[in-house]
Amino acid sequence: MPNLGPFRRGFWKSPLRGPWLASFLSSALLPLLVICALTGFLSHAAYEPDQGSNALFDEGVDLYFFHWPTSPAWLYAATQGLHIITGLAAIPILLAKLWAVIPQLFERPAIRSIAHGLERIGLALLVGGSLFVFATGVLNIQLWYPFGFSFVPAHYYAAFIFLGALSFHIATKVGVMRRAFRERGLLRPLREDLAHTEPEPELEGMLTSAPADPSPPTMTRRLLLGTVGAGSAGLAVMGAGQVVGGPFRELALLAPRGEGFGEGPNDFQVNKTFEAVGIPEDEVGSAWRLGLEVDGESRTSVGRAELLGMELVTASLPIACVEGWTTTQEWTGVRLSELARMAEVVEPSEVEVRSLQPRGAFRRATLTAAQITDPRSLLALRVNGADLSLDHGFPARVIVPALPGVHCTKWVGEMAFASSKHPASVPNPGDSDSKDSASLPTPSPASS
Amino acid sequence: MRRFRYEYGANPAHLLVALASFALAAWALAQALDVLSTLDRFLIWFLGAIVLHDLLFLPLYSALGLLAAGALTRGGERGRLRVAALNHLRVPALLSGLMLLVWYPLVARKGTSSFMDASGLSNEVYLERWLLLTAVLFGGSALLLALRARGLRSQV
Repeated sequence: MPNLGPFRRGFWKSPLRGPWLASFLSSALLPLLVICALTGFLSHAAYEPDQGSNALFDEGVDLYFFHWPTSPAWLYAATQGLHIITGLAAIPILLAKLWAVIPQLFERPAIRSIAHGLERIGLALLVGGSLFVFATGVLNIQLWYPFGFSFVPAHYYAAFIFLGALSFHIATKVGVMRRAFRERGLLRPLREDLAHTEPEPELEGMLTSAPADPSPPTMTRRLLLGTVGAGSAGLAVMGAGQVVGGPFRELALLAPRGEGFGEGPNDFQVNKTFEAVGIPEDEVGSAWRLGLEVDGESRTSVGRAELLGMELVTASLPIACVEGWTTTQEWTGVRLSELARMAEVVEPSEVEVRSLQPRGAFRRATLTAAQITDPRSLLALRVNGADLSLDHGFPARVIVPALPGVHCTKWVGEMAFASSKHPASVPNPGDSDSKDSASLPTPSPASS
Repeated sequence: MRRFRYEYGANPAHLLVALASFALAAWALAQALDVLSTLDRFLIWFLGAIVLHDLLFLPLYSALGLLAAGALTRGGERGRLRVAALNHLRVPALLSGLMLLVWYPLVARKGTSSFMDASGLSNEVYLERWLLLTAVLFGGSALLLALRARGLRSQV
């Protein structure tokens, strides 16, 4: 490679670049990335891909060994809110970090040893992986899909590439970071005013991003980092405004769910409008009946008036979207456990809730036994004292504490329960497994 | 051991971590191939992101920054006021640019139909909001510079 242009060490003039700046940005970035990654995997688990038809793609191996809980009710709002907030906040820091180390893309000799060559391959995976997950995530929350591949598996598997490369990167660079902080101090460069801002010297015996021929400083390190921090905080506030909601939604100035609706009982954020899903109007009219099925056999069906005549429960529950917004409302409806009783299913192990929606990956969702039995899990008929609007799932929708929003199925047409002994044909005493029999339900008074 | 270090360029643990990281990447790619059936677009976006950022986006904003710096500190003029003016330009430009970069789909009204299908909301407001934010950032920065100007001039 010629010793010209960016390949020349003297080409990179900024006096602020160097191992301290890179290390400082990395230490700000790392905790955000850790939270973002953990909450991302938690979101994957919250979708319960092992349950019924929930899996969005075939995963080969099952990495999740627990069921997503229903308490606290704000659990998914919190984890997914954190995922989007930390992800947004990391963007300016990541860009600044890439700016700080860009001279090393052009370093010469391009490959000093096998180890260095492997590190550079790792860096390609790191930079590509990070830009990929951030770009696809940011596009997805704004509902623009120009990439032409399925978002969920691509974002999910790119995260593994990114995190593997990140671990390799940390393992090889932690020494540089330790030296940079030991020689320059953790925060000392932040105290320098412009007159005292000096170009960062090279760490002895190392090739870093420190400039060989710097120009005089025109900016302090604290102004640079303060600007990055302000960008990061600004994005975090916009993300948080959508999660906290209420009056704070106005802070989500440029975020996709920063607009309010109005003051009415049904004036809150929607995911998928009635018009968009294409359900014929007459299917949600007076002829609508909820079908109840057990182990593939139709048991009964019930109309909306009958449902309204049953014991109604009101619960204040948040509904949280994977795209990082939440809204908390007062839902009124029939307990899912009550509907299980009505279908005469003993100890349901899961229920597949089917929407009238003719298309879409989320037209059905399978709930776990714990989600069916939670006393706050409802087939909601009303919200904030009024009938549900069509956009919010009229005639009936599911609302379950801590369940990802898209699994709170709207326009419910059928609920298909599976009993613990599947298939739940009449137990044959001859081949019944004693362990299973022991776990058959014993009648007990309702817990609430 | 010394021979390994000499030949390889680092200790054996380095090699193990490298191989573990690459194995994970290979597994993830194989899984993605399984699900997406083709990796063409995945790889285009993965590698394209590197090229776009490192060879287009970063050089572009660096060049814009150098242009502004050149114009304001022409002929080696580096009085405190000029350097301050440069920073009062840089900071709002960086923040406004960041917001445009992150919220580009909403501001530029990309994916309008899927946005409206999902949210029942219009994405018309975002261009206005971004312009307003940009005006506030540059205006606030200019006001701050005006307030600082006298002090800066007297210290030249």
